[in-house]
Amino acid sequence: MMANKVVRTFYFAIPVLMVGYLLSVFALAGYMKSRPFVEKLGYIPTVNTMKVMAGDHKQFMGANLLLKVLFYYGGLAEKAENKLRIPADYPAMSRTMHAALKLDPYNMDGYYFAQAILTWDLGKAALANEFLEYGMKYRDWDWYLPFYAGFNYAYFLKDHDNAARHYRRAAELSGQALFMNLAGRYMRESGRTDMAIAYLDAMAKGARQESIRKVLNTRKAAFIEARKIELARDAYREKHGRLPGSVEDLLAGRYLKQAPQDPYGGRFYLAADGNVASTSGFSFAGAGK
Amino acid sequence: MFNIVAISLRAIFRDRVFHGILVVASVFLIIPSISSLSMRQVTELSITLSLSLLSFILLLLSISLGATTIWKDIERRYTYSVLSLPFERSTYIIGKFLAVALFLLLTTLVLGTVACLVVWLSSSIYPSERPIVWSNLVICIIFDALKYIILVSYAFLFSTVSTSFFLPIFGTISIYFAGNATQQVYDYINSPVSSSLPLFIKKGAVVLYYLLPNFSAFDLNINAIYGIALPVKAVVLPSAYFCIYTMLLMALATIVYCRREMK
Repeated sequence: MMANKVVRTFYFAIPVLMVGYLLSVFALAGYMKSRPFVEKLGYIPTVNTMKVMAGDHKQFMGANLLLKVLFYYGGLAEKAENKLRIPADYPAMSRTMHAALKLDPYNMDGYYFAQAILTWDLGKAALANEFLEYGMKYRDWDWYLPFYAGFNYAYFLKDHDNAARHYRRAAELSGQALFMNLAGRYMRESGRTDMAIAYLDAMAKGARQESIRKVLNTRKAAFIEARKIELARDAYREKHGRLPGSVEDLLAGRYLKQAPQDPYGGRFYLAADGNVASTSGFSFAGAGK
Repeated sequence: MFNIVAISLRAIFRDRVFHGILVVASVFLIIPSISSLSMRQVTELSITLSLSLLSFILLLLSISLGATTIWKDIERRYTYSVLSLPFERSTYIIGKFLAVALFLLLTTLVLGTVACLVVWLSSSIYPSERPIVWSNLVICIIFDALKYIILVSYAFLFSTVSTSFFLPIFGTISIYFAGNATQQVYDYINSPVSSSLPLFIKKGAVVLYYLLPNFSAFDLNINAIYGIALPVKAVVLPSAYFCIYTMLLMALATIVYCRREMK
């Protein structure tokens, strides 16, 4: 009799507990989703500790860390399409990638992702090249790494000797003469935008993740717009013998058919030396500043 | 000997250990989906995950079977009736060890085949830029099994000296971590960074390096995942090391077990 009473109490208690569970689990999920990246990632022990503890799971741990960064960044890229501010924790992402690549220095995802975010988004091309040159010691068959490093040296760091050296290496490894031509074209300032478009196109075609492809295609779209302004600027200079004062001058003179749109939400302008720039700095992070 | 091996193997199957393995091994089915999340190395990630899962299952098996087989027989008092039969104690303990080792090899064969199928499936959906070196993958899987057989021999050695299962289980877990760390500690003390360490610590670390098992020698994951050439020495030397080290441990375990007083 007593046992039946206890069971009956549980019949009432279970639905109440179920409702409580549903309320708490959704609240918990919401909280977990909004946590800062560093908290989501949790405490990362030093690389040497992880190496010792991981045993033969080092590559698994490295891949796991990289997937965490990818999910985090992928989620931000999706939000960016709806014009939300991106509170990307780039230093934490960079540290995590560094740890992952120390655990598995062969992991191509790490180098690809480092190249994708450290350059334009974080403005740390030199750091990206440190990653890439570290990777070249291990992935000595892979032409992508010298290809990326060559681009960074030429485009961001203006170090043409090192750019040419890496493109020669990429040409040797891939057997593609294209890289030798690239090395030569990067020497000319006028070719930079064209080359950035070609480079981003190659990166986007090789990207398997939709979120990453979107990021690269957005940047390519911005450069295509910038190239249109460059062509209009050159036409103006040829006719008037001087640089235009602003993008608006190009529109007024009908050198540009319509106002160029920066997909990052910034505004294009002509720098004092005539170079085309944008207030966004070609990144959502820059547009938010 | 053969009878003990056969009976012990049957007992392992009767305990439905294999059913448990199959439940955990069902994770293999989702590896192709998880691997597709990789940006540039889907096949490599599928090999990484398959090898890690296989290694994890073998670790659980070697600790649970290796550390409890002898203890369970003593606890259930099977040992006393079995040892009253006309054969040596050494035959009994070596037969038990061979049964566990055979079971690990059988599990490796089944799960290794599943792992290869998973890798093949992933690579056929998303072809890899770098060709898969199947021989490296197979050797890597076999070496995983050898590593865990050494761990089982340690579990047996601990079981022969202990009356409870605490030493066999926690001792085996400790050996697993120590065996994975020895090479790194050895590399560290031989690097200029360790120049400030006291001499006795360095000497002690060197002694431990030679005494404890070196599981890093059996870790061929990089060669399997990225198809990096595998030198003959990297296969022959660990194989010889495995044979001698395991025999040595089992010889010690047998001596201790034969001298043990059974009440």
